[in-house]
Amino acid sequence: MKYNKSIIKLSALLLLAPFFASCEDDEAATPQAGIIIDKTELGINETMTINFEGVADQVSIWTGDEDHDYELRSESNTGFVVNKGLFTYSYSTPGTFHVVCIASTYNELATDLRQDTCSVWVRVIDDQTEIEKLSCPQILYDEVFADKISDNDWVMRLPRKVKYRTASPSISLSQRLRFYINSDSTKVYVGGELFGTTTKYDLAETQDIHVVSDFGSTRDYKLYTVQYPEFDEFTINGVEGELGRSEFDYSAFTYDITLPAGTDVSNVVPVFTLTGDNEKAYIGDSEQISGSSTVDFTQPVTYRLVGVSPDNAQAVAESTITVTVNFE
Amino acid sequence: MIKNLFKYSLACLAILSFTSCEDFLDKEVLGYSTDKDYYDTKYKLQSALDATYDILQSDTFNDSEWRFGEATADDVWGADEGLSSQMGQLVSFRFNTSNTYIRNRWEINYKGIHRANQVIANAHKVELSNDDYLEYKEVREILGQAKFLRALFYFNLVKTFGGVPIRPEVETIDSLVIPRSTKEECYAYIEKDLREAAIMLDTRYVRTDAGKAGSGAAVALLMKALMYQATPGIQSEKWEEMVRLGQYFVDGVSMTYADMLQWDSSQEDWEALRKRLWFKPQELNSPTDPYEEPTSALPDLHTAYSLNYADCYGASIDYIDQFFQTGEFCSGSIFEVVFKESADGSAGDTNEGGYVFDDMYSTSPVIWSTDNILTEIFGSDPRRSYNLGHQTYTPDGELCQCGPGKFVSLKWYTPVKERPQNGGDNGKNRRYLRYADVVLMYAEALNECGNGAAALEQLNKCKAQVNTLNNSSTLYIGGGYGYMRDQIWEERRKEFAFEWDRFFDLVRQGRAAEVIKAYGANRANKRGYYFREGVNELFPIPQSEIDVSNGVVTQNPGY
Repeated sequence: MKYNKSIIKLSALLLLAPFFASCEDDEAATPQAGIIIDKTELGINETMTINFEGVADQVSIWTGDEDHDYELRSESNTGFVVNKGLFTYSYSTPGTFHVVCIASTYNELATDLRQDTCSVWVRVIDDQTEIEKLSCPQILYDEVFADKISDNDWVMRLPRKVKYRTASPSISLSQRLRFYINSDSTKVYVGGELFGTTTKYDLAETQDIHVVSDFGSTRDYKLYTVQYPEFDEFTINGVEGELGRSEFDYSAFTYDITLPAGTDVSNVVPVFTLTGDNEKAYIGDSEQISGSSTVDFTQPVTYRLVGVSPDNAQAVAESTITVTVNFE
Repeated sequence: MIKNLFKYSLACLAILSFTSCEDFLDKEVLGYSTDKDYYDTKYKLQSALDATYDILQSDTFNDSEWRFGEATADDVWGADEGLSSQMGQLVSFRFNTSNTYIRNRWEINYKGIHRANQVIANAHKVELSNDDYLEYKEVREILGQAKFLRALFYFNLVKTFGGVPIRPEVETIDSLVIPRSTKEECYAYIEKDLREAAIMLDTRYVRTDAGKAGSGAAVALLMKALMYQATPGIQSEKWEEMVRLGQYFVDGVSMTYADMLQWDSSQEDWEALRKRLWFKPQELNSPTDPYEEPTSALPDLHTAYSLNYADCYGASIDYIDQFFQTGEFCSGSIFEVVFKESADGSAGDTNEGGYVFDDMYSTSPVIWSTDNILTEIFGSDPRRSYNLGHQTYTPDGELCQCGPGKFVSLKWYTPVKERPQNGGDNGKNRRYLRYADVVLMYAEALNECGNGAAALEQLNKCKAQVNTLNNSSTLYIGGGYGYMRDQIWEERRKEFAFEWDRFFDLVRQGRAAEVIKAYGANRANKRGYYFREGVNELFPIPQSEIDVSNGVVTQNPGY
């Protein structure tokens, strides 16, 4: 009997032995977190590439920005699963973010779970101070864009009046502005005050624009406004004509003047005044002086009017007026 | 002794079996087509072209069209906008690079490109039975359509992903991984295909040939490809080229073969080009055959299409009939995705379009509009009435039951009498390119080139046609550049609403972020609010492409 018992014991032990052995084999491997990150200083929306270089069955990465903060993992923040050891990401907001990598291993029945973590800080910088476009968004129904004349100087060319249907309402120099900058965080100051989308700015004055990026870099611009010059009055032999506007092009005008039949217009001296102070009239390249320059009006004559900003000789607005003489 | 004999004979047998094996493998299987000898007649080439058109009819293709072109933008709400689904993530711009729909869009368009490449790469193998001019023309038209379709698929990819890999026409096992080309290179490739298609095809195909892409389709798509390359507010030769094409297409200003191709005699000899594109070679030309020279004028295109609401016979139809079977290949329809009834009584086929419109115009639509959105799009425009609310009647008297608060477009509706016999089929074609698009593209290009007055004329041509719906005389009003541009964009939104192009139109206008974010901010689920400017204008390259290419195919910035 005793002999039999020990046989049972022995065989039970023998049976158990492989059981234990297999248990030991099924233990999870030791995880090792390790990442290679291509850069730790990034711009907005710049791609960051992370390669996982450790040992793990599964890898997740917490990028540290909104909704992906490892510290807030118990508050419904989530990480990203890494596939094939490669993870790419980009940040849409500036800041300093804690990137955490979790390497985990587990055995087949998930009775043994192990984790290892490593982390790195990345800094996302937004130093965008470049104004891409600048406009007056409400010139009647039109949005009129300013032109860049040098790195830091913009010129806004505005009409004095805009033709709309049969009317020609005047355009004020007190206007809203609109800045197109490739950043949500950059701040713009106009004349020392924080820019407001509905604030009206007096464009009769040259505006100082100060742009501050989130990173702290600054850049100063100047916005010069020049109105397209027009004839305020234009007479030949004391007869006044009518100014015609184009609804499509604020710099192109026509001027029709009707004189008594038989008038000799080959050698007349028109009298005119221009609307603005810093404006001059030319035919071709020769300057025209009101009441002194003689002009041949047998064919339509195109005047070139040039207005200049008092603060910057480069900021000019040029318009053309084609004067046509008709006869009664 | 016997043992040895046995061994030797075994060895002999073995040797014999090896030799016979080699011979056997060398033999060609009789009566079996391979890619080497298949494309020897025009009929076989045509069957390869049919297979390319087949992609346009596939569920996957059309599915991807509305998901990306419409559901992501600001004209509709969607049934599937929860962040737990792939679709919800896609339209909320909170997807990852493994999104199913992004991969589907990539794959289906490349599938189309692969099929078009079969036609293009093998066209030179066709042997003609005689030297008739018409024989050449038939092959040329097959090749031209394949070029148009290839351009269409690449254009879809470029506007979704930016520069993509340009696949070689003949794929070999040694070069399966192709790196991405730049956006500019892709557009150049697209333009070349379209310019060649434009000279190879008839202006428009009618009657039994209706449905084939004509040169009108090629030129319209070419204008669109140019428009997507140009930036509003920035002068560019693309705008100028669009004006040139608009003058040809809309105003009837003549254009030569060389103009259309932007042909450069130092790059390719004219006769070589003619041979490549299956124009009848000069030496074989008989005196009665036409001979196309670089300076020959292209056939008139401006008489082929019009803005009038008229069917293919010229009888006048209602506005919305343009989108029904009545208006298939109507005067304003340039290219349609043709859906055919299977007629075999079977349901559940995947290329008969049933699924496309049925999912939208249904009792539980996948996307729909709302009263507020319709007011924003249309205001008091008569085209608003072609959108139905819950418990209202369709023009043919069917009760619409899309659900309270929802509005569905009649552009998605199939009238009762046009409905097919079999489930899974679709009774009407999808309109892909319309003449109104050409006119409005022309107007926009004119305005960009500083010709606001001419732009207004084109814009008001469209408006005047719409005015016939309610006897209105309201027209758009002249103004400066910005005002004209806004008016053209407004008319585009009204005219092409719910035709699955809104998202891409917004992106190329450069205001996708502004518009979609504003839309999202007003929605309870904030769908669209997370659009990231400078990133989401392009979708990411599917992760699987990056993975299988081991990083040779690079990811878009920001993903």
